[in-house]
Amino acid sequence: MNGEAITAQIPHRYPFLLVDRLLEREPGVRVVAEKLLTINEPYFQGHFAERPLLPGVLMLEMLAQAGGFLESEPLLGKPIFLAQVLDARFKGAAFPGDKLRLEVSPDASFGGLMRIKGIVSCDGRVLCTAKLLLKNSVGPKGSA
Amino acid sequence: MSDLKTELKTMIIERLKLEGMTPDQIDDKAPLFGEGLGLDSIDALELVLGIEQHFGVKIEDEAAGLQAFKNVESLTAFIAEHRTA
Repeated sequence: MNGEAITAQIPHRYPFLLVDRLLEREPGVRVVAEKLLTINEPYFQGHFAERPLLPGVLMLEMLAQAGGFLESEPLLGKPIFLAQVLDARFKGAAFPGDKLRLEVSPDASFGGLMRIKGIVSCDGRVLCTAKLLLKNSVGPKGSA
Repeated sequence: MSDLKTELKTMIIERLKLEGMTPDQIDDKAPLFGEGLGLDSIDALELVLGIEQHFGVKIEDEAAGLQAFKNVESLTAFIAEHRTA
């Protein structure tokens, strides 16, 4: 699953769509996606000019975007945002040419919030693990 | 019931890292969210998990859960009612 199927589910677009391909998708259970890094990524211009490497926070964003495919309904036009980052660990760097594997599964949910567990890996090496809280709809009345 | 209330307040303080607060500073009838204790929807998810782990009570029905989350008094009653042990 790729291309139009991806842009039909999440609202992210160039230059900030960070999911290239879906390998597995079972809404509410598990998503495995891929992001392929090329030297032409805009952020490699300055991070860093002499030694391009992927900013760690973008791995969190990749996991959040992959998490959008855990929802069974398309998220286009919905008020979605990243609400919390928990236990993020960056264990390795990613470079131009790397094929990143993004694995996410839900951990808990309540009131329009879904907490997911995610792993970014490359060729079997774990680069990042984190829990993220994603907001996908209007939560409890009167709360932020 | 009052023991359960104190236990619940202690759990809320620890789980939500309300540093410097003591159980007796939480008013039984003060709203947990917004004014009152000032919790937000992120805290609500933490609270759901805390209640499940600490008291063994699962909150599956979100509407019932939100009703119970009104204040410490309503939440204590909810836990007492659904607790199996």
